Amino acid sequence: MKRTWKILLMIISAVPFLGGCWNQKELTDLAFVMALGVDRGENGHGYKLTFQIVNPGNVTTGQMGGGGGLPIAVYKSSGVNLTDASRNATKEVSRQLYYAHTNVVVISEKLAKKEGISNILDALDRDPVFRTTTQIIIARGTTAEEMLSTLTILDKLPVNNITKSLDVTENMLGENTKITIDDFISGFVSKGKHPIANGFTLVGKKNKGKYKSNIDSTIPEVIIKTDGLAIFKKGKLTGWIDGKEARGAVWVLDKVKGTDVNIDWNGKNNAINLITLRSKTKVTAIVKNDKPVITVSIENEGNVSQADLPIKLTDPDVIGKIERKMEKSIQKEVLGTIKAAQKQRSDIFGFGDVIHRTDPKLWKQLSKDWDNRFADLQVNVKVDSYLRRSGIRTNPFSVDLK
Amino acid sequence: MDTIKISSFQLFVLVFLFEMGSAIVVGIASGLKQDAWIAVLLGMAGGLLLFLVYHRLFSYYPDLPLTGYVQKITGKFIGSILGFLYIVYFIYCASRVTRDIGELLTTTIYTNTPLFIINTLMILTVIYAIHKGLEVLARVGELLFMMVYLMAFTGFLLVVFSGLIHLENLKPILENGIMPVIKKTMGETITFPFGEMIIFTMILPHLNEPKKAKFVCLSGMILSGINIIITTIINIASLGTDLIIRSPFPLLSTISKIELMNFIERLDVFFMLYLVIGGFFKITLYFYAAVLGATELFKFKNPGKLSFPVGFIVLFASLTIASNYAEHIKEGLKIVPIYLHWPFQIIIPMMLLVIAFFRNRKKKQKTNSDQTSKSEMSPANQ
Amino acid sequence: MFLFLHFVIPHRLIPFHALNAGNLKSIFEKLDKTNRIGYSNQYWLGVSSSKSEAGVMSFLSRMFSKQQKKRQDDNIRQDQDPGKPEDLPILRDHKDNINRIKEELGNSTDVVIREYTLGTHKGAIVYFDGLADSKAISDFVLESINENHTEDVLNEPFKFLLEKAVALGDIKVVRDWGKTYQLLLSGETIIFLDGFNKAISGSTRGGERRAISEPTTQLSIRGPKDAFTESIRTNTALIRRRIKSPNLWLESMKIGRVTQTDIGIMYIKGIANEKIVEEIRTRLNRIDMDAIGGSGYIEQLIEDQTWTTFPTTYHTERPDVVASQLVEGRIAIIVDGTPFVITAPALFIQFFQAPDDYYFRFDISTGIRLLRILSFFLALIGPATYVAATTFHQEMIPTTMAIAIAAQRENVPFPAFVEALIMEVVFEILREAGLRLPRAVGQAVSIVGALVIGQAAVQAGFVSPVMVIVVSMTAIANFSTPSFAMAISARLLRFVLMGIATFLGFYGISLGLIFMFLHLCSLRSFGIPYMSPLAPFNIHNQQDALIRFPIFTFTERPHLISKGNIVRTGTNQKPGPPKKSENDSAKKGDQE
Repeated sequence: MKRTWKILLMIISAVPFLGGCWNQKELTDLAFVMALGVDRGENGHGYKLTFQIVNPGNVTTGQMGGGGGLPIAVYKSSGVNLTDASRNATKEVSRQLYYAHTNVVVISEKLAKKEGISNILDALDRDPVFRTTTQIIIARGTTAEEMLSTLTILDKLPVNNITKSLDVTENMLGENTKITIDDFISGFVSKGKHPIANGFTLVGKKNKGKYKSNIDSTIPEVIIKTDGLAIFKKGKLTGWIDGKEARGAVWVLDKVKGTDVNIDWNGKNNAINLITLRSKTKVTAIVKNDKPVITVSIENEGNVSQADLPIKLTDPDVIGKIERKMEKSIQKEVLGTIKAAQKQRSDIFGFGDVIHRTDPKLWKQLSKDWDNRFADLQVNVKVDSYLRRSGIRTNPFSVDLK
Repeated sequence: MDTIKISSFQLFVLVFLFEMGSAIVVGIASGLKQDAWIAVLLGMAGGLLLFLVYHRLFSYYPDLPLTGYVQKITGKFIGSILGFLYIVYFIYCASRVTRDIGELLTTTIYTNTPLFIINTLMILTVIYAIHKGLEVLARVGELLFMMVYLMAFTGFLLVVFSGLIHLENLKPILENGIMPVIKKTMGETITFPFGEMIIFTMILPHLNEPKKAKFVCLSGMILSGINIIITTIINIASLGTDLIIRSPFPLLSTISKIELMNFIERLDVFFMLYLVIGGFFKITLYFYAAVLGATELFKFKNPGKLSFPVGFIVLFASLTIASNYAEHIKEGLKIVPIYLHWPFQIIIPMMLLVIAFFRNRKKKQKTNSDQTSKSEMSPANQ
Repeated sequence: MFLFLHFVIPHRLIPFHALNAGNLKSIFEKLDKTNRIGYSNQYWLGVSSSKSEAGVMSFLSRMFSKQQKKRQDDNIRQDQDPGKPEDLPILRDHKDNINRIKEELGNSTDVVIREYTLGTHKGAIVYFDGLADSKAISDFVLESINENHTEDVLNEPFKFLLEKAVALGDIKVVRDWGKTYQLLLSGETIIFLDGFNKAISGSTRGGERRAISEPTTQLSIRGPKDAFTESIRTNTALIRRRIKSPNLWLESMKIGRVTQTDIGIMYIKGIANEKIVEEIRTRLNRIDMDAIGGSGYIEQLIEDQTWTTFPTTYHTERPDVVASQLVEGRIAIIVDGTPFVITAPALFIQFFQAPDDYYFRFDISTGIRLLRILSFFLALIGPATYVAATTFHQEMIPTTMAIAIAAQRENVPFPAFVEALIMEVVFEILREAGLRLPRAVGQAVSIVGALVIGQAAVQAGFVSPVMVIVVSMTAIANFSTPSFAMAISARLLRFVLMGIATFLGFYGISLGLIFMFLHLCSLRSFGIPYMSPLAPFNIHNQQDALIRFPIFTFTERPHLISKGNIVRTGTNQKPGPPKKSENDSAKKGDQE
């Protein structure tokens, strides 16, 4: 038995020498790709990739000095597909491209419209290094390259500007919502749902974004800004919804966390502003005469944040009236979005999935021609709003002015 | 060898870890989409019934392992052949699990590391465990059981708090009727993981309270079954039906979706830790059953001596049973359940039970008649 | 021939008329023994040359050569084993006795031999200076001897000495020569009296000893402040003072051929497992070495397994810890000359129990104990995790942290593993240096270390600040293990895990931990599984394992350690305000 243990010991001690570095990679040998941009290749062949690579020494300000140079470096490469282009990039980049910290994949509007993005999704989906929580966004009216090479002033890493502003708009405005690669693919695969993606655009002189001067002034020459939701159909971008329409879509998708609603009062437009704190959306389907009817019921809670006319906010009846008005306003908004989607024949809300869940048999018939059926779908929207508080004042001062 | 005794709690822990071992990792019955958990539930019910068969056999021969009483039931020659086949089966299963673990590691994190290295290290650990014996293994099981449970619970909480659970993904229930589910149950879940309890027929003789064997094993199976069901439900609810079909390791995908406070993310490594522990126990128990069977069959004195040769067989088998992952999975889903699991887990034990039943009845009659004849004779002697 | 014998064998020992052919053989045997205790060669030769006659010369020379050979053997044996009990008696002539002592101890200068006269009788007092209490000797022995005595006293001088003159507590009559050395060396005084082949030994053990002081290695906030000393008697007394039970038994033995170290085995009869006591006894008896340097020697000679980094016996310098462990059924081994008492069997979890756990309330103690276990694992896998995370699993580090680490490592010339190894080794060197240096210089070392590691190395770009953080975190975590023996094993295993992590990342670490767990579970301490009560799991002994439950739940002793006598407390020990019914009756009483 002693001998066998000696052999075992020898084997174990030999293992480290066998291969010291199969998967070892030192941090300093890696190029952290923070964001990956995909553009249409020359003449429509293949793809052009843009890598926003972090320059660690310039991001962290510590004892190690730094802080002087630019926080990111942007490299480009092209190839017939994503992997090819990514490997081609090694000709320029001195380090191994490392995608585990990639937060955002930017796809140019042009590519999404012309070729569609179905061919690039598999590479992102399959690679074990890629995070499934990586978000997918569309560079609206610009190229991914320009988007990724733009420096931002508040966030050292421009990619953080994108992800954080998405976070904030989701929480405060409700016109956008986080969409990860996984979400996108599951929408892409599902028959009863069409995927959407967030749009981002550049405002200002697009080609100035890559210079340091962009972050040397208090008003940057170029800024990155969220801009609408892109609707996809069969992997191709077919249209955009913006502003309130976009919010309606987010509302149906139950992703609204906080937003504000303006209502008219006594003939005065947008007299009262209300903010919602919590919102919950339920989508249900019922089958009536072999026809599905979708009911979207939204329940939200909010506060009065602004009242520009004399109104007695201490009166529960008045509050009740405001609540009714708010409900109507939201209902109108949501219905508007649904109508717009129906016009485009794109079920971005996943109503098909809802029918699938409630009546699989009916769904089997409907699914064959869902886009057209969706256009004629009957959708009811029910809203319940509750106003809880009105800030640290009771009645607005305009009550006393009278 | 007979002095090895484990307590009923230790047996419970071993059953639990064994059942959970690789079943959670590979995502069983995922072809059924949202109904996978029903197949697991039915499989568990079938597995419990199956275990009653094993237990009945055990109660006929409480001191013998499977390879021992096979010889008693079917005679020396056939019994030895059957026993040998069982040993081969255990070794094959051990190497399959080793391959599972190795494949997972090489596809996710250790993409450049040869499978050989990963499997070798695992097998070395297993050999060490076999050397230390069943008692030590059971004790380690007790320690790691707590750790695994703590980890699983934390993971569950993290998944819930990340807002990944969308229970509507579970609908519609039984979209295509019950038949596909039953088919899947028969073809897959009843044998994997619940039918694999067959290896505990080798270990039951070491239980210090044989009376508790039934209760302990059944409760261990139920608890692990519930855990597997919960995991399956979580996977479906958080991944959705289309993603779960495309994921060879659904739990890994679920865990990598966890994102909390922008800090707790990419917890794949903890999944891997769990995987290594679970896989280790599964391989070790299969391995142990094989070694025990071989010692019994070939009348070796020291089971520890066999651990090296068997270890090398498992290692090389794990590398050569399939040339790629697709082949490995195809074998695992299509061929192994029908041509290996069914005969070894269900058909042979049932046949054994039938024969044993008649033999024992005969014996009983014999002893009864012996007694009566004796009692008849005794007065005559007087 | 007779003449020769007359000189060689001390004449008072064997009367001449008793010398006949029959007992000649026995005389020669005795002769051997005499030689063994060290009659010098010179003495032999001198006597034989001066007093020998021609007739006996041939015999003598034959015997001489034989004797010499034997003596050489004996000398060798004597070197190894001089303390073997002698059955040689004490001589009648006190002068001879004195001479013998002088010779056999090589005229050692710390032997005090004082001759006295008691009336007409002469005698000598012998003791070791420093081992015996010279004040006690002068007060209680010499003074009473030197008084004027009446005639009848002098008729029976030995009886008088024994019963009246020597005013000491513990008095023995010694007849064996070998015994006198044992007694002398343990600090007793031997009183020889001319004309008697026996002596009196009076217990005058004393001399300079370290006073009981505060413990230096195991500090506690609320616990008692006394610690063991180097003297075995003080130590047993410290324990006995805490357990006032006649069932607290103490067995003594001497181990070490040369050192003759006193060892005490202490246990509570009826609580301790007899089998374990017997096992400890046999393991101690098996020890056959020339020297026992202290309890550390004993520990290493009786443990179950040598090839392990984990301690399987516990040692402490706190009497309160030993007392509480004795009550739990453990067995204490006290070694003279060491202020550390060994207790056995020792379990893994025991090394995370600090005395303060029991002096504070259970909630705090539980939290702190969990913290200790956590920090043990932190110390174990800290650097390994760093290496694994930065070389294999960069994806698991949160993005901003990964970038920060990458920035710091940008200019570091070493790969992560080498960096970690260098830092860990440097730290270990510093720690060792700080430990061994005189206290005054130790301060300087820590300052230099802090500067070198903390600042200069970072500023020079040799190491990254993260690495410094990791190393110091591990170090601090390691210090928080209450037992040094356990902490040191984590120190060692840390390097092993670091090595595995370097070539296989977390997979390696997890396999390494499984290896470690397998090893831990296979360990036994005097037959008790090392990881109990966690594995094998015992629900009755969980009050004091990972979580310390309130004291009143400590109803049972550890099952595996104390067989039989398990119950520790009376029923219903839970404290609380008086029960409601009592209150009611009290109120009723008031009303009435």
